[in-house]
Amino acid sequence: MTATVRRVLLPLAGIALALAAWWLASELDDRTPGPVAVLGVVGRGLVEPDGLLLDTRLSVLRVLIGVALGATAAVPVGFALAWFPVVRAMFNPLVSFFRALPPLALIPLVIVYLGIGETARISVLTYAAFFSAVIVIYESVAAVDDLYVRAGLALGATQLELFRRVVVPLTVPQLFVAVRVALGVCWATVVAAELVAAQRGLGAMMQDAQNFFRQDEVYAGIILIGLSALVMDKLVQLAMARTVRWQERVAR
Amino acid sequence: MSDQVGAPTSERIRFDDVHLGFGRGRQRLEVLDGVGFTVGAGEFVSVLGPSGCGKSTLLNLAAGFLRPDAGAVAVDGEEVRGLDARRGVVFQQYAIFPWLTVEKNIAFGLTLRANRRPTAEVREVVARYVRLMGLEGFEKALPKTLSGGMRQRVALARAYATDPDVMLLDEPFAALDAQTREYMQELLHDTSRQDRRAAMLITHSVEEAIFLSRRIVVLTNRPTRVHEVVDVDVAWPRTPQSRHTPEFVELRQHLEEVMRSMTLRPGREPREKEHR
Ligand SMILES: Nc1ncnc2c1ncn2[C@@H]1O[C@H](COP(=O)(O)OP(=O)(O)O)[C@@H](O)[C@H]1O
Ligand SMILES: [Mg+2]
Repeated sequence: MTATVRRVLLPLAGIALALAAWWLASELDDRTPGPVAVLGVVGRGLVEPDGLLLDTRLSVLRVLIGVALGATAAVPVGFALAWFPVVRAMFNPLVSFFRALPPLALIPLVIVYLGIGETARISVLTYAAFFSAVIVIYESVAAVDDLYVRAGLALGATQLELFRRVVVPLTVPQLFVAVRVALGVCWATVVAAELVAAQRGLGAMMQDAQNFFRQDEVYAGIILIGLSALVMDKLVQLAMARTVRWQERVAR
Repeated sequence: MSDQVGAPTSERIRFDDVHLGFGRGRQRLEVLDGVGFTVGAGEFVSVLGPSGCGKSTLLNLAAGFLRPDAGAVAVDGEEVRGLDARRGVVFQQYAIFPWLTVEKNIAFGLTLRANRRPTAEVREVVARYVRLMGLEGFEKALPKTLSGGMRQRVALARAYATDPDVMLLDEPFAALDAQTREYMQELLHDTSRQDRRAAMLITHSVEEAIFLSRRIVVLTNRPTRVHEVVDVDVAWPRTPQSRHTPEFVELRQHLEEVMRSMTLRPGREPREKEHR
């Protein structure tokens, strides 16, 4: 009973509270559209084939491709950095630099070399995903408990066996974390990239809406971005919970 | 009366005037200062000493995780140069792999190139140690669902499964509650007595050392040497009743006195400051 209250009723109450506050704000300030109007825009947009649905699909797809390319490339690089001291000594400063560099700072450069097409946007997203994921993977391998390494070695494991059968399984949970971090960074990047240079996509849609003073569409864009990012994050969490049931502390 | 009488005929583990320190310069910490003893074939020897005197360091030398600065460590007459599955290791912390089930943990060593066995044999060995360690019904369980005692039984089974020539045990029961610890000591005694494998047990528990061992190597404080080697004249095999025999009680009193005196008088050389 109390569990249902905590898990269902309280979150719903929180959302209701936020909606009420939003509604109140819309009544007091005429620059702010109300929740009903905005949800109407979202609903209509998702029905029209060429409307908000297309923008959402485009943004989601860009994020997915960026994360898929970037995080996939990050796995071998992260492992290599953590496993080989020479690789680490050589490339750690560079990786740190590029990771600290906000991906958006590259946009002017990317426009010169790749124009403002899809290739340019996907490149920036791949870059963002790669460097955020690489650090997580590298740190997770570096943090592997020495106890398990020693146990594996004492049982006769070769370096390769140790890596494949001890280090990789221990690191799998962190691979999901890496994907989540990459997703977060990519959503931040995709919206900004679309604001700057795109015909369609949620960022571009919001830019247009703002130019034509359509506040309700700006709000609709914010909601769709938040929801899409949230759903993707939850899906990764779900996949993680299913894959790594052995963990003592299951991520909630 | 006993499975084996008198001195062991051949030695399995040999520490020969072993010196080892950590760090350099002002950070230098001399730990082992000429430690020498042997473990014979089929013999169970405990290494007893105050905390921080270098017991784990000795085990790490025998396992091949460390190399001595001077002196030699040999197993079966061969100098220890690195890790080798012929030496089984059980750690104080539950070092069983959390992502593997009980049976997969036990089978782990047997699926490595170094000691790979046919699948049928792996299954047979796993079943045997599941039975010996009382793990029936938990074959498919993940470690997170097991108690500390059971986890350590999995660790013992995993080390035994590869059939090592010698067993190296580093305070395997130190983290367990008193009752589980006694039960585990009895389990380990029965297992090691039956398969007559040479074993070196690290412990700081006098009771545990006496109960399990033929001989006890008592170490001094750092810089560490062998204080004395004690033959344990308690009837073999040991049973829960052994703990109450006069020989047991007398030896326990003696060793507790020795341990206490070392705790009160830290450092073999009084001038030396305790490094912390
Ligand atoms: N890798 C290491 N580097 C530096 N000091 C160490 C290292 N391993 C152990 N020591 C120190 O050596 C001493 C003996 O350690 P250890 O063998 O673990 O003692 P114990 O008898 O409690 O098992 C301790 O003071 C410990 O701090
Ligand atoms: Mg120790």
